[in-house]
Amino acid sequence: MAAETGVVTTASAPEEDEVAGRGSGRWAAGTAALSLAILLGLLLGFTSGLLAPGLFRPGDTSAEAGFARDMSSHHAQAVEMAILAHGKSTNPDIQTLAADIALTQQGQIGVMQTWLKNWGLSPTGRQPRMAWMPDGAGALKDGLMPGMATDAERAELRAATGSDFDLLFLRLMLNHHLGGIHMAEGILDLSDDEQVSALAESMVAGQKKEIELIQTLQGRINSR
Amino acid sequence: MSISTSGGEQRRPSVVSTGKKAPAGGKPAEGEKGAGAKPAGTAAKPGSATKSAGKSGSGARVPAGRGGGGGGKKPQQRRPITPVKVSQGRSWGSISLFVAVGVVTAAIIGYGAYAVVQNGKKWEDKAAAIDGIVNFRESDPSAVEPMAGKKSHEAGPLTYKINPPVGSSHNDAWQNCMGDVYDAPIANEHAVHSLEHGAVWVTYKSDLPADQVEQLASKVRGNEFMMMSPVQNLDKPISLQAWGYQLKLDSATDGRIDDFITALRQNATMEPQATCSGGITATGTTPRDNVPGDQQQQPVPPAGG
Repeated sequence: MAAETGVVTTASAPEEDEVAGRGSGRWAAGTAALSLAILLGLLLGFTSGLLAPGLFRPGDTSAEAGFARDMSSHHAQAVEMAILAHGKSTNPDIQTLAADIALTQQGQIGVMQTWLKNWGLSPTGRQPRMAWMPDGAGALKDGLMPGMATDAERAELRAATGSDFDLLFLRLMLNHHLGGIHMAEGILDLSDDEQVSALAESMVAGQKKEIELIQTLQGRINSR
Repeated sequence: MSISTSGGEQRRPSVVSTGKKAPAGGKPAEGEKGAGAKPAGTAAKPGSATKSAGKSGSGARVPAGRGGGGGGKKPQQRRPITPVKVSQGRSWGSISLFVAVGVVTAAIIGYGAYAVVQNGKKWEDKAAAIDGIVNFRESDPSAVEPMAGKKSHEAGPLTYKINPPVGSSHNDAWQNCMGDVYDAPIANEHAVHSLEHGAVWVTYKSDLPADQVEQLASKVRGNEFMMMSPVQNLDKPISLQAWGYQLKLDSATDGRIDDFITALRQNATMEPQATCSGGITATGTTPRDNVPGDQQQQPVPPAGG
């Protein structure tokens, strides 16, 4: 565009012999070029501003998205077992632990689902479970993520009563936490996303403390 | 104009060559751009050179910008030779350079735009793109809205318009949809409530081959907002349901199963972040809404082994 302007004015330039005429012509061309440059700059800046967030936020196959999806599902099963325990156990210590696990992990599911929404991603990915972790496929047992209770174990828990129920709940939840910590440590190795790392760190620390509590409660029930 | 005019004062040869090339189209600009682009240091400066020239109108500055970057002294010595080389040699080089840069830039921006558009695509659009899917929210809202004369939540048995149902009135209790694989039919009155919470309900005809049943189960097991059960009187081997959506299929190997789950699981919910746990885990087509304590204490044999 600048080129055409140049050509046109070149042709007309020889006719205008006056210096003043040349000066005003320069002004016009300079202003045109300047406006064009500003316009192009604005357009470029606007476009890159529009596109950049989409390019730099975690994508559909990123480790962050895989973690958010998989940990949501992992947490959901912990919530299921904890809600069951909160309603079923007659042991106040178990009821308190169960309420803590259910409410904390349900809240964290909400955080992770909000990430996915903000990243413009569906809650459901197309990659297999754990594909975001090195040797993630090897960590699956019968398609279940590390530490997850099987259908048989869930049915067993629903059927159990009394201290049998309490002990089974503690055992399943301890395994569940170990698997969850493994996954949270996995994303800490892979991601430098601040909010993802912060939540994963809190999961590792929180669930390690709960494992200590679970072991204390196991000892207390077994020594009765 | 500023360029050619100033050139007219100080650098006759360049103006002449510019005038000759003008009919060929865009040559003066190519010369100007080429001069800016080839010496690495001045690549970003053509704009500012033009600008200062336009403002000051000094004849000395412009040839400097034009004659090849560096100081204003060099062009004075090489004046007779350089313009000729610029207009011949540099034109193809700069043209191909600009084409290459343009193509790369357009590709990057194009990809970015594509990625943003794809990411921004609504789940409704992804669902609508699935071949054979029925969107009852649009095609037949009466299959989704509460039944005539009934509320959204109604106790006791209910009669549904389509089989399997995709919405409408349902019991207070929902069917547990924590990746549960039920090996016997379940109550529609609870299953519909699970759909309302965002679950995808995979159903199949009882005579579906065992390997296909297992293939379906592997997509369900361990995944919350998923559940599966056989259904009586199904007119196709497999039928997938989400709130307001249905897709009937012949085979468990059909790729549209994953499309349906990816597009609609959780997304089709009427109550975002509602739960799938704490639901009824018993099978049987009779609704159990008013059975006290039923929701958690009915032991269910591990489905599918």
